[in-house]
Amino acid sequence: MGKLPSTLLRRPTSLYTSPSTSTATTGPSGPSSPRCLLQHQQLRHATFVLRPRRPYQFTQLVQLSDGSTFTVRTTMPSALYKSTKDSRNHVLWQPTEKSLRNIEVDEAGKLAAFRDRYGRGWDTEEVPDEEAEAAAAATQTAHVEAKKAEATQDQQDAAGEDPFDSLVDLISSYSKFDPNTKGGKSAKDAARDEGKKRR
Amino acid sequence: MSHPVTATETTTEETPSVTSATRYKIKSGLILTRPPLLTREPTPFEAAFYLYQKRLNERLAVPFRREFYFRTDTAADLDWRLKLRERHGVPAKDIGRYNPRGRVAWNDEVLVGSETGMTADIVESLLKDAEVRISEDGEEIVDDERVPVERPMPRRTEADEKGDARRLDRALDQTLYLVVKKGEGEAATWQFPAGDVPTQEVLHETAARVLAESAGVNMNTWVVGRVPVAHYVTEPIFAEGEDAATAPKRRGEKIFFLKGRIMAGQADLTGNKHGLTDYQWLTKDEIKRVLPWDYYRSVRNMMADR
Repeated sequence: MGKLPSTLLRRPTSLYTSPSTSTATTGPSGPSSPRCLLQHQQLRHATFVLRPRRPYQFTQLVQLSDGSTFTVRTTMPSALYKSTKDSRNHVLWQPTEKSLRNIEVDEAGKLAAFRDRYGRGWDTEEVPDEEAEAAAAATQTAHVEAKKAEATQDQQDAAGEDPFDSLVDLISSYSKFDPNTKGGKSAKDAARDEGKKRR
Repeated sequence: MSHPVTATETTTEETPSVTSATRYKIKSGLILTRPPLLTREPTPFEAAFYLYQKRLNERLAVPFRREFYFRTDTAADLDWRLKLRERHGVPAKDIGRYNPRGRVAWNDEVLVGSETGMTADIVESLLKDAEVRISEDGEEIVDDERVPVERPMPRRTEADEKGDARRLDRALDQTLYLVVKKGEGEAATWQFPAGDVPTQEVLHETAARVLAESAGVNMNTWVVGRVPVAHYVTEPIFAEGEDAATAPKRRGEKIFFLKGRIMAGQADLTGNKHGLTDYQWLTKDEIKRVLPWDYYRSVRNMMADR
């Protein structure tokens, strides 16, 4: 068994050159080059590698909002973590859950009181009234006629119109069609109203 | 089709003989699955391995510093110290009594039959630790005034305990498969919902239609892909003295199974068009006992281990 090169090369007085070292030093420039006679010694002292300091970790029981649990390793010393908002009660993961869609909660009745006093003019979304619906149905045909006329008018003067005006209109009308901002109803009321509509 | 002459020859030869369409019926079925809702329990070996890793980590990680997390002499601090004293000074709650820096730090193995490190034991000790023991005034709450932590739902549900195989909320850590019972009495067989494929339909359309016809429309289902995951062939039966060249007495069947997923809803067999009398949601092991052997053998490879 041959000795390791490091043990051989550690002795500077030694005249012995191991065959492996000589072959290693013969580079592409050839053995005649004087630089190649210098021995490039590879040192393999044991160096102290510091172990990374890892923080102390506990096992924790995580309880999601629907009651399901799992354990994680964490630095937090409390044994149980109860999540209030997670994928189980977020509308992104539960798109069919109706109670999550309504963002307006009016348990104290403050919004209702505001509306009693100042009306519904401040609502982002118009709440369709039954009377208003009937009126709308009556006037719908007239509206359709008017819109048709308007459309033809638009087509006629589309070339000369400023395009930014229509864009501003588009932006201001956009917030009205946001399905998440249903004004004036709690989740319970919304569900009840829907039940009424179905009947 | 490089030799049109040979092609015409073969067709002229086959025309008098019986084609496979007259010998076999093509059917399409749907294997409706409910995916597992819970992760499985670790095996005893896995539990022991994780416990070993935790105790090893005790030796390698820096010690827990209470002062960093709790301000001294607050209620939380007193609570922590009280619980730590009861755990004999071990900060971790789930590794049992183990001192990583003592003279017996090498002794990190649990004895045979010990429950330490099992899932139930871990959950139990964590729940016990989550209980508040010190009031906001810094006084210890007596035993009968403590509010116990609400326990998580058990892994086995009510349907599991009753053995109700029609419920979908059973065997939560395994896949469930819908099987239906065809016929009455002795002649009844369990199978997956399947039906004939008409000429104008393809397999996945038939599978979806057959499922709606047999198990009702009150299910939110999804047919996974258009490629069958399994197939089952029954050979045609010929009358006495006839050979394969003639029309069979009873045609064979080639059933192609597609895979489906159920997201919501439940099967309902009332008014089904396929003569079905019962249904069950079964795990792989239970299906093995219910289905005929060769039928099960043809579909078993599409079923996951759990």
